[in-house]
Amino acid sequence: MTMAPHLRKFMLTAHITSSVGMLGAVASFLALSVAGLASQNAQMVRGAYLAMELTAWFVIVPLAFASLSTGIVQALGTTWGLFRHWWVLVKLLLTAFATIVLLVKMELIDYAASVAAETALPSADLRKMGTELLLHASGGLLVLLVPMVLSVCKPRGMTRYGWRKQHERPALYPP
Amino acid sequence: MADPRPYPGTPRWVKVFGITVGGLILLAVVLLHAGGSPRHKIPAGDAVGRDPPSSVTEDATRFGDDVNGDTAPKSSR
Repeated sequence: MTMAPHLRKFMLTAHITSSVGMLGAVASFLALSVAGLASQNAQMVRGAYLAMELTAWFVIVPLAFASLSTGIVQALGTTWGLFRHWWVLVKLLLTAFATIVLLVKMELIDYAASVAAETALPSADLRKMGTELLLHASGGLLVLLVPMVLSVCKPRGMTRYGWRKQHERPALYPP
Repeated sequence: MADPRPYPGTPRWVKVFGITVGGLILLAVVLLHAGGSPRHKIPAGDAVGRDPPSSVTEDATRFGDDVNGDTAPKSSR
């Protein structure tokens, strides 16, 4: 089933907006985690961790789900399909992986924000949690850059399933 | 009707990507088991009156922080 051109363009715009937005939000999260670790100012450290929690819950998580869902709709509603081309499949797996890791780490982000808000700073525990969050934000940014590159380059290559499906169907446009 | 062409195989870029991802996962597992994770020394005590994430407490227990006595003192609250 393919989408009507107007709907397809709308979904594509939504997918690009959410995906690029998530990349930007993770970059902001990374900047905040660097500020939380590097700053000597207790107020700045506290503010950074509280902002990280808000950014994660209200920007990154919604954008991650939006990116994943619009991507799936976009793939299923066009001739690309979800499992027919390697680049689409790799994008799906990476985005799903990043979303799962994000959800798992939300507990740590909440805890770091509560420690920053309620204990005297500087805190060694907070520093350790901040280092972990910095590593995860850096890794997440790198993981999210790969789908971006794949979307632009669309490298060739069909999956075995895609190849079979393509040869099962009669040609739409005869030579 | 002619026989369908055989599947040409997995593209090279997918193989290279898969090997790279596998290597990175292996590296992460090795670092975690070697104690390279920065969170393995986080104490299980709740300095702010909240339970830490289960992953944090699991790690603190696994690495024996309480046994070694290097857990940070709890808040006087």
